[in-house]
Amino acid sequence: MRITVDHDLCDGLGQCALVAPEVFELDDDERLMVAPDPAPGLAPRVAAAARACPVRAITVEGA
Amino acid sequence: MVGAGLAGVRACASLRAQGYSGALTVVSDEAHLPYDRPPLTKQVVAGTLTEADIRLAGADDFGARWIRGTAAAGLDRDRRRVRLADGTELPYDGLVLATGAQARPWPGEVPPGGVLAVRGLDDVRRLRAAVDGGARDVVVVGAGFVGVELASSLSGLGLGIRVTLVEPLDGPLRALGGTVSGIVAAAARRAGVGLRLGTGVRGFRSDGERVTGAVLSDGTVLPAELVVVAIGMTPATGWLRGSGLSLVSGRVHCDERLFARTGGGAGASDPRIVVAGDVALCDAVCSPEGPVALEHWSNAAAQGELAGSNLLAGPGPAEPYEHVPSFWTSAFGLRIKSVGLPGTGDRAVVEAGDPATDAVVEAHYRGDRLVGAVTVNRGGLLTAYARRLRETRPAAPAA
Repeated sequence: MRITVDHDLCDGLGQCALVAPEVFELDDDERLMVAPDPAPGLAPRVAAAARACPVRAITVEGA
Repeated sequence: MVGAGLAGVRACASLRAQGYSGALTVVSDEAHLPYDRPPLTKQVVAGTLTEADIRLAGADDFGARWIRGTAAAGLDRDRRRVRLADGTELPYDGLVLATGAQARPWPGEVPPGGVLAVRGLDDVRRLRAAVDGGARDVVVVGAGFVGVELASSLSGLGLGIRVTLVEPLDGPLRALGGTVSGIVAAAARRAGVGLRLGTGVRGFRSDGERVTGAVLSDGTVLPAELVVVAIGMTPATGWLRGSGLSLVSGRVHCDERLFARTGGGAGASDPRIVVAGDVALCDAVCSPEGPVALEHWSNAAAQGELAGSNLLAGPGPAEPYEHVPSFWTSAFGLRIKSVGLPGTGDRAVVEAGDPATDAVVEAHYRGDRLVGAVTVNRGGLLTAYARRLRETRPAAPAA
């Protein structure tokens, strides 16, 4: 599973972190951090997190 | 599919993703292709996003037949037909109600020009046209989310626009409770926005054509070349009167699986009709007083998705709606987010940060039970609250 975040689009809204907190997290300045190599079993949640992104900044391949 | 906002678009996508290959007709009262609403009051007013940037779907998407610029006018559930304003009747096997809401209009008389409410793209075009035409004294009526976002966007344009925000309650964004309102009020004042709190607007002055002022409850007249009415929304369900569906506070009442409830006895739902987005009042989102209406992007997205798959699955295998409500807004440099239903709490506790520094995490409790949390500029901490809300969710009643 390959996750790409377009940081120009990402506005730190954090909706992805609510859906898949194991993979997405906002830091103290509300910047998005993505865990490397998430477990394959998380793929459906990661896909749901991408759909939950209001600015469509997240793309997932191989999920 | 009646309604082509976010909920409708997500329901279309979900139906196709779940393998539905039959005919799909989307009806929208707007002439525009589907677009995203949250940026309207922020980036679109500011000019940093264009109309093309906020498009949600194109006319070729979903293999659907699009009927745009025509409102639904009636629903006959016995004959399974939707009647449109032009008299066309559309038969259905399954129906998604996602008509959203309209801006609540000003309840009194308004001058012919210069007073507008903002809900859709056309409204924002009119707003920009007024500003580009030279309007510099702007009164925003109502300091809810739309009013606060617009006051922030207009004052931030750098055009010297004088914005006054009028609100009958004692602060902006009171729906979020706790200390957030005070933080927003202070930031608004720093941005040069005039706040008139604890007072309403009782009418308008005009030169016969355009508005010239807003008259406050105490008789004060605020000069105004443009008045933005932001006093909430009205669900678009007038066309469903007489359909036999249960309408509560103007919304379509639906069960935990998003099937529309009918007036026909306790627990009855129509197995061919699902509801999603602002128009829905869902049993799965509730406080002890009953279902709570959500008017948020994340709710429209999640309900739209589930509505599509549940309609296809049918009431038996359909899954309950288990979304933890979440919301965000930004104004005056503040980034405000919430999870849960903070407005249903009875006390707010600052659990991190400090309201004086514009960074705060506030938890809302009802008795000892967490019901929601709000952050200002500390959104990273919301995830833990969302997890707690998910884990402590009261069990849904048996279907």
